[in-house]
Amino acid sequence: MSKIFPKSANALPLQILIFLGVLGGVAAAGITYYATPAYLRVGYAPIQPVPFEHSLHAGQLGIDCRYCHVGVEKSATSSIPAAQTCMNCHRTIKAQSPLLEVVRQSEQTGDPVPWIKIHNNPDYVYFNHSVHVNRGVSCVECHGKVNQMKVVQQDKPHSMSWCLDCHRNPAPRIRDPQDVFNLDSQTLAEQGRIEDAKKYIHDWKVLPPTSCSGCHR
Amino acid sequence: MKRKFDHSAPAQRELTGPKYWRSLDELADTPGFREHLAREFPEGASEMNGVDRRQFMRLMAASFALGGLGLAGCRRPEKHILPYGKSVEYTIPGLPLYFATAMPLRKAAIPLVAETHQGRPTKVEGNPSYQPHGGASSLLAQASVLDLYDPERATSHTKGGMNINVADVNALLAKVSSTYAGNGEGLAFLADESSSPTRARLVGRLKAKFPRAIWAEYEPVQDEPPVAAAQAAFGRNVKPVYRFGAAKRIVSLDADFLHAEAGSLYYAREFANGRRVAKASDSMNRLYVAESNFTLTGSMADHRLRVASSHVLALAAALAGKVLGTGAFATVAAGLDFPNKDKWIEECAKDLAEHRGESLVVAGAHQPMQVHVMAYAINAFLGNIGKTIDFVAFEPSSASTITALATAIKGNSIKTLVVVNGNPAYNAPADLDFAKLIGSVPEVIRFGYYADETTAAAGDKVTHLAATHYLESWGDARTVDGTIVPIQPMIMPLFNGLSEAELLARVAGEQNPDAYAQVFLTIGQITSGDGKKAFEKFLHDGQLAGSAYPTVSVTLASQKWDFANIPGFTALSKDNLEIRFATDHKMDDGRFANNGWLQECPDPMTKIAWDNAILISPRLAQELGIVPHGNLLQVARKEEAEYTMGKENARIFEVSLNGRTVRGPVHIQPGLANYTVVLPLGYGRTVTGHIGTGSGFNAYAVRASDGQAFATGAKLVATNDHQLLANTQEHWSMEGRDIVREANLDEFARNPAYVDGIGMESHSPPVLGKDKDKDPAFIASTTPRGNSLYENPNLDGIHQWGMSIDLNTCIGCNACIIACQAENNIPIVGREQVKRGREMQWIRLDRYYSDGGADAEAFGAEGNKVLPEDPQVVMQPMTCQHCELAPCETVCPVNATVHDEEGINTMAYNRCIGTRYCANNCPYKVRRFNFFDFNKRATDALYMGPLGHQKDVPELVKMVKNPDVTVRMRGVMEKCTYCVQRIQQAKIAQKRKAGASGDVEVPDGTIKTACQQVCPVDAIVFGNIKNPDSAVSKLKAQERDYAVLGYLNVRPRTTYLGKLRNPNPHMPDYSALPLSRVEYNKKNGHTEHGVAPAHGEEHGHEAAKPAAEHGGHN
Repeated sequence: MSKIFPKSANALPLQILIFLGVLGGVAAAGITYYATPAYLRVGYAPIQPVPFEHSLHAGQLGIDCRYCHVGVEKSATSSIPAAQTCMNCHRTIKAQSPLLEVVRQSEQTGDPVPWIKIHNNPDYVYFNHSVHVNRGVSCVECHGKVNQMKVVQQDKPHSMSWCLDCHRNPAPRIRDPQDVFNLDSQTLAEQGRIEDAKKYIHDWKVLPPTSCSGCHR
Repeated sequence: MKRKFDHSAPAQRELTGPKYWRSLDELADTPGFREHLAREFPEGASEMNGVDRRQFMRLMAASFALGGLGLAGCRRPEKHILPYGKSVEYTIPGLPLYFATAMPLRKAAIPLVAETHQGRPTKVEGNPSYQPHGGASSLLAQASVLDLYDPERATSHTKGGMNINVADVNALLAKVSSTYAGNGEGLAFLADESSSPTRARLVGRLKAKFPRAIWAEYEPVQDEPPVAAAQAAFGRNVKPVYRFGAAKRIVSLDADFLHAEAGSLYYAREFANGRRVAKASDSMNRLYVAESNFTLTGSMADHRLRVASSHVLALAAALAGKVLGTGAFATVAAGLDFPNKDKWIEECAKDLAEHRGESLVVAGAHQPMQVHVMAYAINAFLGNIGKTIDFVAFEPSSASTITALATAIKGNSIKTLVVVNGNPAYNAPADLDFAKLIGSVPEVIRFGYYADETTAAAGDKVTHLAATHYLESWGDARTVDGTIVPIQPMIMPLFNGLSEAELLARVAGEQNPDAYAQVFLTIGQITSGDGKKAFEKFLHDGQLAGSAYPTVSVTLASQKWDFANIPGFTALSKDNLEIRFATDHKMDDGRFANNGWLQECPDPMTKIAWDNAILISPRLAQELGIVPHGNLLQVARKEEAEYTMGKENARIFEVSLNGRTVRGPVHIQPGLANYTVVLPLGYGRTVTGHIGTGSGFNAYAVRASDGQAFATGAKLVATNDHQLLANTQEHWSMEGRDIVREANLDEFARNPAYVDGIGMESHSPPVLGKDKDKDPAFIASTTPRGNSLYENPNLDGIHQWGMSIDLNTCIGCNACIIACQAENNIPIVGREQVKRGREMQWIRLDRYYSDGGADAEAFGAEGNKVLPEDPQVVMQPMTCQHCELAPCETVCPVNATVHDEEGINTMAYNRCIGTRYCANNCPYKVRRFNFFDFNKRATDALYMGPLGHQKDVPELVKMVKNPDVTVRMRGVMEKCTYCVQRIQQAKIAQKRKAGASGDVEVPDGTIKTACQQVCPVDAIVFGNIKNPDSAVSKLKAQERDYAVLGYLNVRPRTTYLGKLRNPNPHMPDYSALPLSRVEYNKKNGHTEHGVAPAHGEEHGHEAAKPAAEHGGHN
């Protein structure tokens, strides 16, 4: 037999076992991380055509979310501001900055600034911003502390099971309506007022939909 | 959206059936395939490909790759959010905006509100502030949006086949204006009819500038009563506006006032108001219809007389003589004959006389003016004028006719012809041979939406100016009662089109030819005070208050009857047939031929989609020897043609009239006058897009100037050919079942709950046990739903949605089908797929005939062998019933169709794997399956495998889609969702309003489903059945409320209100029971009932036989 297998072959079964073990472990880890709803691009932070800093505008300067995202209280989409909105200030502040060239061009020509979409729900999901922010669900619940992000990244998985976690039990996520746009605020539950949250949910008939028709049309 | 359609001869591959390719190249090398490829991107379509986003992404692809997206990019494609550069006033992305506009059609218009999404119109609704329509619209208005995005419309101005730009067009029009300045000798215009005040003003300017130019107007179909009749009767220019709501007895003399007449929306609405009943003591109008064709109006008739259109004059004379008690009309009435004629006329006249001031006689617009004069005389005699019929003063058009124009062209006196809209080469009277004439004019300027037959006939030198759609142009129009309504653009002209107002203004040499300026000027001249303010109010309201034509009092001129030119009475026979040229229900006069939604919508009576057919009566069919064999299996009626799996194998016949002939498939249509052959107009287009070309045959080919609505002396000759028609309802008898439950008004008065005495439920213990009399909300939330293994969700939402459809007012107009198609992104599938029964429309309009003859013995009983000549008709919109115990849900292996807590049977498209078990298990057969990727493929590329896929569907085609509804892909089941997107939006809007309060219940009436909103007769009502005060709850509480197939205990949320008929007991064709009930009793020939408590004493057993002989007559 020694003519067929060299001596080193004696270690082969063990090597194969170890290799398979490592491979299986990596695959399991990969699948656990990437292929389950828990991941769904959390941490995705593409490079935008304009290096806009939320931490500066919303954080340091304290500009309200709604100054730019005008549709958020009325529409399904929160809407990305028109270049004109940026230029309201930037006509005078940093008016010559090369970083803002794309925005200036956009305002002049009408061609849109090609922002890259971060929170990208599938087309068959009809999410509506207005109904959430008007009923005590803060921006921060889905988008994280954008006011502290230099580059915006996806903070939550936005998977269906993640949506349903809250839709089935909204009490821990509800805020006082006046805190909705205050990204540093605490939920009622965090303030130790879980009973208040439950009372609000009952009194306001929050009743988040948990059946298909709520989001899929 | 399938836009391209191939009607050429099938490729060899198709003829020889399935064949396997050894390689793709082999396939690619066949000429047929190259043809397919060529068709994939028709002219103009490619210009719209890859604009903006796509092109951008392609260009940027490299920089994205360098951007270090890494693994994250593998999972999902990069997407962009593209905001505005400059904000747009009032626009918030994601929220639609609504603007008032109007759709002009001939001398009338439908006021509309258009829904736009970021400047893109996707849907129109009737303008609710225009009272007569009450927010309703028609199927043509609904489908018109699709025309806007038709890739095959004229997309550029051309001269001699070469594109010319806007500056060239303006120069050309200026040249015409200056060349003919002075007297205008040699200049002629041929336009369609229009109600536009701006156009009237500009035509006045043209006439002043070119006094000797010819301004001719031509419309192939007539939908308004002739002014000559009013002139003869009253000596002034007036036209009637009928008040059907006030009429208790209505006689229609060949008038299809529910569909084909101008103002039909208003008339249908008012008619339904006079027909709607809530409780047993309510009264209901009675409708007598004498007609040759079987129209929607005829289907609503309580007494229907089949009479040839050419004999309507004699009938009118006989009726007028009887009502007025004079013998003056006897000569005109001579010759008229049908069974029980004297009694029919006498009793009808008596019924009218007993309802003075609340009766109404309406004559069809296409009837000669003498018929109208007689109708006016009867109405005047009965004191109806001012009560059920008003006369309004208006200025009739002073335009010349197409005949006069043809004479001028023949005399070589026309040097430049401007054709404004219309399509005379296709639809002008055949004796004018207009296609040839137009080719002989030295210069033809053709202004039209499509480059069509007229453009082609004008020869190589023609200048074609691309017209704008009404949704992209400024204009104005008048509704049928004269109210001025604005036409506002919703979008910039997609292809630099020219609007009609601008065209005329440029030729007239106006200072400011801009269409907006012209409309502003016109309205400014009509309104007083601050012009800008008034104009803005006009645009905002969508109508100019108080601009309706004034009602005037008229008196019948002395009884001086001009019967000099009356044609003599001609008896008809197999060898001397009458042809009735009917305005088609969907194609109208042919102008909508390239509209896929309309082509695929089945005709409400024949149920044929994509084609027209020569319609003949069963009697004539028998005499011609074409008694069909029919498939008798499970069909208690010999079919009217040969069917195989939805394909109607129709024989091709040749119709000849005065030496002109046309060939077409024959469809035997019960209910036609015996010797009238109906030829629907508007088909057989030869030069239009892929959808319209080759659909049906062109009936204009045999239509001459002397018989534009009907003509006698025609013959039918058989050929050996056959054609397969896509007929969506081969089965047309209820076979004595209880699907539509009808009663006569007197039975309803005695037994308002008559519906409970019909059907399986009346023979079995109550389906709901002791809860059978509880209201729907209680049943939904409390009554147990059995012990199925399938876990039913709790219906504990604060709303419980339900729908009620009133079969008593439904006129079967099909508007709901198209409204649903427009709202819910439903694709068309093409003729071949309809033949396979794969049509996708979520609403089906079932039409059932009954003549009292169908027998319980399905297989060959005597009553099943005869084709009914004079049936009664019922129409029933059928769509997902949203069963609380839905059979579809229990069989879905992947839970793709489940209930939500508010009672909607939802479809989660992204879960569906396409087993089609649900469709199999649906007792109502209302589920639709995407057999192909209809949204990504042309209808002629369905069978091409991966090669048929359109990677880049033209942007233009996608623009019509409703952004709030998922566009479904292949392999997915779909069905009515109760317009769940509208429900969710309304709920969200309410919650938004509620904020930190509990006021989240959507007020009743906020949500209207698309079918409900379009319905001209308000037959469909949707709402929250948990609220006992909601409109739908009140309707469901009515005693006429019943569930179709209720005995299955599926508890449908959509229920129907039973149909009523109001026949006159003294009429010869009176039947004490509706004929479907006679068939029901025949089938069920029973003596004992179950426990149904309220069944009428009349029910069943001794059902009066219908009068043996119905009015049938040649």
